[in-house]
Amino acid sequence: MEERKASKRCGGVFPFIIGFLAFCVLGWAVIPGLFFDKEEQPVWFSHAVHVEGQGMDCESCHYFRDDGTYAGFPTNEVCAECHAVDPEEAQAAIVEEGIDPTDYDAIMKAGIGAIEDNLASSDDDKMQAEREYVVKYLIQGKEVPWLNYQYQPDNVYFSHASHMSLSIEELASLKKELSDVVDPSVFEGEAPEQNCNLCHPKDIQANDVPPALERNILSGYSKTTMKMWKCERCHALKGQPNACYTCHK
Amino acid sequence: MSVARRTFIQLGAGATVGILFTPTVWKALDDVSIWTQNWPWIPKLKYGAVEAKPTVSKMCESGCAVKVRTVAGEPFGTMGNEDNPISGGGICPLCANGVQVKNSPNRIKAPMLDGQEITWEKAQEVVAEKLAAAGSKVAVISGDQTGTANEVFSALLADKGSDAFYMMPCDMQAADKAWTGLMGGSGQVGYDLEGADLVLLAGADALESWGPTVANLKSFAANESGKFIFAGPMQTKTASVTSLWVPVPAEGMAAFTLGIAYYVLQAGKTVDTADFGQFKAMVMSEYSPAKVEAATGVKADRMADLAKQLLTASNPVVVPAGPVAAHGAAFALNLLLGGAMKALPEFGKAIPSAMSRSEMLKADILEGVDTDLLFIYEANPAYALPEKVKAGFTVAFDVVQTETTATANLVLPSLHPYERFDDLASPYGLAAATYSLGAPVCKPSVDAISAATFILGLADLGFESFEEVLGAKAEAVGADMEALQGGEAFVAEGETPAAASLAANVLGKAAVPVKGTGAVGLAPYTLLNVGTANQATTPNAPCTISNNQLVGDHMVVMMGSATAKQLGVSVGSKVKLSGGKGDCEALVQIFEGVMPGVVAAPLGLGHTVGDEFSKGKGDNVYKILTVSSEAAAGASTWAGSTVNVAKI
Repeated sequence: MEERKASKRCGGVFPFIIGFLAFCVLGWAVIPGLFFDKEEQPVWFSHAVHVEGQGMDCESCHYFRDDGTYAGFPTNEVCAECHAVDPEEAQAAIVEEGIDPTDYDAIMKAGIGAIEDNLASSDDDKMQAEREYVVKYLIQGKEVPWLNYQYQPDNVYFSHASHMSLSIEELASLKKELSDVVDPSVFEGEAPEQNCNLCHPKDIQANDVPPALERNILSGYSKTTMKMWKCERCHALKGQPNACYTCHK
Repeated sequence: MSVARRTFIQLGAGATVGILFTPTVWKALDDVSIWTQNWPWIPKLKYGAVEAKPTVSKMCESGCAVKVRTVAGEPFGTMGNEDNPISGGGICPLCANGVQVKNSPNRIKAPMLDGQEITWEKAQEVVAEKLAAAGSKVAVISGDQTGTANEVFSALLADKGSDAFYMMPCDMQAADKAWTGLMGGSGQVGYDLEGADLVLLAGADALESWGPTVANLKSFAANESGKFIFAGPMQTKTASVTSLWVPVPAEGMAAFTLGIAYYVLQAGKTVDTADFGQFKAMVMSEYSPAKVEAATGVKADRMADLAKQLLTASNPVVVPAGPVAAHGAAFALNLLLGGAMKALPEFGKAIPSAMSRSEMLKADILEGVDTDLLFIYEANPAYALPEKVKAGFTVAFDVVQTETTATANLVLPSLHPYERFDDLASPYGLAAATYSLGAPVCKPSVDAISAATFILGLADLGFESFEEVLGAKAEAVGADMEALQGGEAFVAEGETPAAASLAANVLGKAAVPVKGTGAVGLAPYTLLNVGTANQATTPNAPCTISNNQLVGDHMVVMMGSATAKQLGVSVGSKVKLSGGKGDCEALVQIFEGVMPGVVAAPLGLGHTVGDEFSKGKGDNVYKILTVSSEAAAGASTWAGSTVNVAKI
């Protein structure tokens, strides 16, 4: 009897409502965040230092090759145009010091002239980042495994060349229709000369600390990787073909 | 208890409904569906610059000048090199699969001593010890017809006091024996197929497997006004696109050529050699059209007509293949006609103590090899030679496992052509002396080193690495190293050939057709997509092998319907061909493009070691070839092989 009374006291719609509201809040505010792991870039690369500090422009590193393909991230060959540490000379100096060439910490602490004398940075923290790049990648002949915030699956053929003529200014008329495809803030303020912001982090050229890549723990893709429906929506709005072979070559 | 339970159920129901009003479930489903498309074993693309890097490929016998397509430095395809005259932008079926062979699981991954993996240092020790013990009883078999690596090997032999350098049997060898050996000519013989207005291919399957096939095809395509005629025991693919096929048995090719020479001499053509009179008398008496017709079955009228066409052409050329005698006869005829045969100047040597190319071609491997220490460089004698090669200790260098590496004492992995420095010096058949160089286009994918560099470590030959040797070679050639590495070829035009003699005495005897005792003649033929003596078919090529060569795992031999009737077989019959020192199994196909009394069989099948594309496919025709002595010419030949055919 006691239990029946208790049931009446606690019964009704309230527990249902509490459960409903609690999981609505969790489902909207908490759980989506749990789907992503944050991964830091392998090297602290400051766009601000390179663009504002050294007066470089986007095309210095992110350029189209002679055959029209897009180079994406710069290779060691490009970086070495400015970071003038000679890999062979540095390796020889490391061996001369009696340091294990794979013991990066020891190399960085040793203050080896063949490396230190050729570092371009002046601030201590920036110099440490540059030193890390030089020691771990440049003199090892290994390319930096940069994390790509927008990388597409291998079965998608995305041509930067085909999209380079898209104008943010012109697309502003479709701002409302595109609101769930691209970040609406892209259309705020004066339209930039280049349209990279449409898909890539806005104003990344002024960024000093690279944002962490948020990787979906289930799918493995970046949070900002564009989904197929977004590509299709934009193609439809721009009157472009949406046949499978347009992107899946 | 029941209160808590009911509350819990209500709370749970609320939570379930609540979560459905959020994106969580739908997002999770979406992500899981994407996750199912990304299993860890799915191949990932390599991203980076796409380039076409020039180098040379050594998979076919003459070698191809190629461009290797790479992405981020990783090769993924091969194409011809339009800047190089050997290639002209084309590529042969073997070299087209260079990347697939480079990445093949059949590659030799590390040095192996009697089946056990060893280090390179240990390998160096073992070879140095064997070399010291062998003294001058050292020999080399090379499967490379065009490379300066041969100079390194021959210089090692010279250092040890040996001259036992053997090339695998090839047309270049027969040509050299005839031209520099019998006729006292100098340089290397070449044929201007593009400039000739009449080309008689006397057994040379030039558009399929003979010589620099790709260059030949380019010349054929460019020579719009020229007429091509093919003579041979079967209507090959080359014959199918020429103006005329003249059926001539392989052993009768020399007599057939001298039969044509009869008419040419009758027309008053002469050559300024001491024995011209003797040559003329020999041909006029022993190779009269009636005699040749009786010996070869080729009608005298046909030879007269061919002679007439050759005489009226302004720049004709006869291109031989097969025995030394066939080459000698063709060279004599070319000298009489004064046409498009060329003598190519030989390039200077990189290593002074090395043999010249002509010297390298002198030794006859078909007579057998018996030595204490044998180096085999990218050749497969265990598969392609009917005679046993005997050696106390065998060191085999190769890129992939073969029948030879399976039986060698020490197996040393060679770098793949895309991973090493190598060169192509005047592939046999070209009208001009041509030198091309290849530099590595990618990093080695196994623990291999350059075979020539390994040899340089065994003796003081004046060079530390093969790269240095090639630098010296380019200098000796007079070529610009930078241009060579950029894919261009150095070209020295061929000259008008001149011979000291027409070898009347020798040709008179050597040109007599000699046939074996089997029931039918054997016409072995080569198709590059099936493979060569050194190289089995490559990974993408099997789909191009037709039902006339292979059905399932069974080799197919072709014969005319009259021959089939004579042998009591029909299409699809399973037969055993016996000849030489072995027998082969095959299925029968009827093809009227094979001469009566002849069975045509493809070379290159029947490997017992190799990858899934070649191992156990068909049978090895080299087993049933009969080596006969060209006594007068001082050489051995397979022409005239015969077989007995039994239905099984």
